[in-house]
Amino acid sequence: MQEKLFEKISVIFSYNSEKNVAIPYKIRWQLRDYFIKKLGYHHKVREGRELFHIFHVTDGNLDFKLRFNTENLSWILEEISDGQPD
Amino acid sequence: MDSPINKAAPTIMHIDLNSCFATIEQQAHPHLRGKPLVIAAYPTPGGCILAPSIEAKKMGIKTGMKVREAQIICPNVIVRSPDPVLVRDVHKQFMKICGDYSPDITPKSIDEVVINFSQAPELKKGLKSIGIEIKKRFREEIGEWISCNVGISTNRFLAKLAASLHKPDGLDIIDYQNLKNVYSTLKLTDLNGINVRFEARLNQVGIYNPLEFLKTDDIFLRKQVFKGITGHYWFLRLRGWEVDDFENKRKSYGQDYALAKKTDNIEELKKIIMKLCEKMGRRLRASNNCAFGMHLGLVYNDWIFWHKGHKFMEPSYTTQELFSKIMILFFQQPNKKIVSKIAVSCFELKPVFDIPPSLFETNIEKKRKISLALDKVNDRYGEYVIFPALMMDMKNTILDRIAFGKI
Repeated sequence: MQEKLFEKISVIFSYNSEKNVAIPYKIRWQLRDYFIKKLGYHHKVREGRELFHIFHVTDGNLDFKLRFNTENLSWILEEISDGQPD
Repeated sequence: MDSPINKAAPTIMHIDLNSCFATIEQQAHPHLRGKPLVIAAYPTPGGCILAPSIEAKKMGIKTGMKVREAQIICPNVIVRSPDPVLVRDVHKQFMKICGDYSPDITPKSIDEVVINFSQAPELKKGLKSIGIEIKKRFREEIGEWISCNVGISTNRFLAKLAASLHKPDGLDIIDYQNLKNVYSTLKLTDLNGINVRFEARLNQVGIYNPLEFLKTDDIFLRKQVFKGITGHYWFLRLRGWEVDDFENKRKSYGQDYALAKKTDNIEELKKIIMKLCEKMGRRLRASNNCAFGMHLGLVYNDWIFWHKGHKFMEPSYTTQELFSKIMILFFQQPNKKIVSKIAVSCFELKPVFDIPPSLFETNIEKKRKISLALDKVNDRYGEYVIFPALMMDMKNTILDRIAFGKI
């Protein structure tokens, strides 16, 4: 099932300088912590002058689509899905 | 007659991402991997399938089917809407990687690219090893789920054919040594550009398979089969000579929209037409063109199609100008009926700088400059920051789409 959301969430982000890998480490959504295990895809998108980083990540149970606003440094959870038919 | 098959070493590579939209969605969403997935224009039962995943294809689900048909074949099929922003980003990366090997690269669509190595120093490495390297780089730099087919040959037609031989994740070379063997395993409709109607035309003159097509001489193809120069192009194309190395000049811009809520309410329809004109106008202005011809097509609730095109004396450039011309056509409908689909397009394009200023209408220049300024504001601060008042409440209507065969 796929659910479109647009909720502000808390994120701990990690950057590994040796591997040059940047990925959300943990997200807190609805008072629950989700540890990110894998990055599916990362890309950037411009909406006018604002630059957003979109992270498609998974904690092993759910896939999350996260949007990082580089203008105000906020995180939005845009979508969750579990890979099952709706 | 002995066929003059091109015996040169292959220099053309055709790369085709496998099940592009679906594979990219699976890359971004690891839980979708290995499952039957379809990307549909709309996730409703009547939505048209744009791309089935490799797993869905194996079950018999095909592009163009309705979602409900796919659900009959596989009740557990996962249905998703396309994510054009994600797909365009993958396309950019895909092009960037290909650009590392030759300066002469031509995107044929969002998921296909042709690389011409004839002037590239990389050719020394051998096209097969470059193909293998590109596949590896796609997996490492775009994502491990991304696979592609690589076809190598002496012309674009055969390179594309080679890329279709072993799907998914194949790499094939067609040259003068194996050309006949490849043709002997294929049907006429496996050739790019031969559909069932062309096949019927070939069958009428006794050509039933690609090998017979290859053996047919030039004059017969020109005079008896295609009745024109097209026959000669086919004669050359089949033998590995390049005839498709050209770019089509854009002749029109268009937008269409299938209404979620069918209606005959003029105010509702005007809003949609305005938004279509705004999207079309943005593209028209970005190309520095204006249009003299306008076309409107409407599909009604009873599946009747009505359309009207007209060439106007004055060019259209601003969204308002496009909208007012389309509305002139709209009011020429013979009957007022419930509309289910609207298509607008503009044609007869001319560079806007070549149009002399009007003697009678003095405000045209000002309006055009304002229109360009509005486009700049939207480019800078985000799409639809400023928009015509008629488009109020329309932000999520008429979604961004990637057209077939375009980027």
